[in-house]
Amino acid sequence: MLRPSALRAAIVACCLSVTLTLTSCAQAPAPTAAPPAPTETSPTISTPSEVQPTDAVADEALPGATFNAFFPEAQDGLDRVYTQEKAGFAEVKLKRDGQEVAKLAISDTVSTPAAAQKFADATETIAGYPAVTVGKKQTAILVGGRFQVKAISVAEDFTPENRSTWLEKFDLNGLSQLP
Amino acid sequence: MAQPINERVDALPTKGMTVFSLNALDFAVPGAWENLVGWENTLRAVTGEDDADLLQTVSDRAIELYNDKSQGYQNALFLYDTIDAAGRALGTAALANKVGEKVPLLGMLNKLTPRADKAQAIDLSLKLVVEIVAFCQINGIPGDSIGDFMASLGDYGGESLTRMAALVCFDGLIPLGPDFIGLATDKLTSLSGGDLLDNSAFQKIQRFVPEYESGGKLGFIRHSFATVSDWMGGFVADRDLTPQKVVTNLQSFIEVTDDKLDYLAALLDMSTNYYAHTGVQTLAKRLIDRAYAEI
Repeated sequence: MLRPSALRAAIVACCLSVTLTLTSCAQAPAPTAAPPAPTETSPTISTPSEVQPTDAVADEALPGATFNAFFPEAQDGLDRVYTQEKAGFAEVKLKRDGQEVAKLAISDTVSTPAAAQKFADATETIAGYPAVTVGKKQTAILVGGRFQVKAISVAEDFTPENRSTWLEKFDLNGLSQLP
Repeated sequence: MAQPINERVDALPTKGMTVFSLNALDFAVPGAWENLVGWENTLRAVTGEDDADLLQTVSDRAIELYNDKSQGYQNALFLYDTIDAAGRALGTAALANKVGEKVPLLGMLNKLTPRADKAQAIDLSLKLVVEIVAFCQINGIPGDSIGDFMASLGDYGGESLTRMAALVCFDGLIPLGPDFIGLATDKLTSLSGGDLLDNSAFQKIQRFVPEYESGGKLGFIRHSFATVSDWMGGFVADRDLTPQKVVTNLQSFIEVTDDKLDYLAALLDMSTNYYAHTGVQTLAKRLIDRAYAEI
């Protein structure tokens, strides 16, 4: 009898060969933006000098798999690729012709109360939910007072309007019904 | 005590045997690898942001996620580190004075011990298993269907694809030759559980290796190798890769002849840590990616 963990791992092994075969054939060098050159100036952020054990994800955070059903289907010429599924978090990439153009994510703010708090000052709404812009690349809404849904631009031509449009494509009503 | 992830990223080298070796693979995976080093650089590159307060928030969350053992990221780094550390007896000390000049392989033969094909086959297969298990520790198993999951693995590129290219070239083609897949398969078929338990790397990672049907952990290793063999074979065929082509591209920094490939494999094994190097880069990117989406 295959144990569940072994089954999942065996699936991984089986899939790896098939998928990497596909990608190896089509693996043209990605014209990604060059990363910034190493900075010669002092760092602008502070970091710890030792590992301090944390509890980064609350016990009551919903499994990432819970969120999968609420992501929009592939459409508008964009492919949808699931990339991460962790406790309280799930993410997909949107790709056009193999190139990443945007990311979509759902996270459970039960682990990140500050993330939910920023919506208290929201002056805009998308699909009736409080909406904020984060940095230069993100539009976020808070659903059911708990689940943060984000659209994140990767390609320059994925505009803030595109982000709002894609946020509306989620099954936001379904997501808001989660406990 | 574990080193903070930000320090691991800051400590990634920009030159040396590992970096030279990975750059030499550009002929096989053109443009795939950018040696992104430095925690703040990585934060800026992954997010595309430059606001200091925002980057600080992302950094804090990424480090918080890494420091939570239950999230699996520390396990992934342990696996990348451990599979690389097994053969590094020579280390960098013997090569420290070789910066700026070619490494003369012939002058180092007395320091190198080529491994038997069986040991090399075990090493190759364990690295594949580490790739699979570390992927799951970092990303979970995304999506609701096998199709979703296949698509997520199809996302391999950048340093992850380069790591696999290094596996094929440095742990397959050079030590075992053009028929490395068939040779390794034969060795794995005749391998016993006792052989596996004698392997120091397996001893350290075995608690992360799942069991496969009645074959146990050895069964999982065999099954993983068999299924990924198709990919490796395709990778080699698509690029018409040969040991000689790999050697040609390494000759910019190693003086080597085609009749000493087993010694070249030993040198690469003992003087590079490409799994840990690219593994840290993969891990940092995924951590920052998640943190940026969660804050």
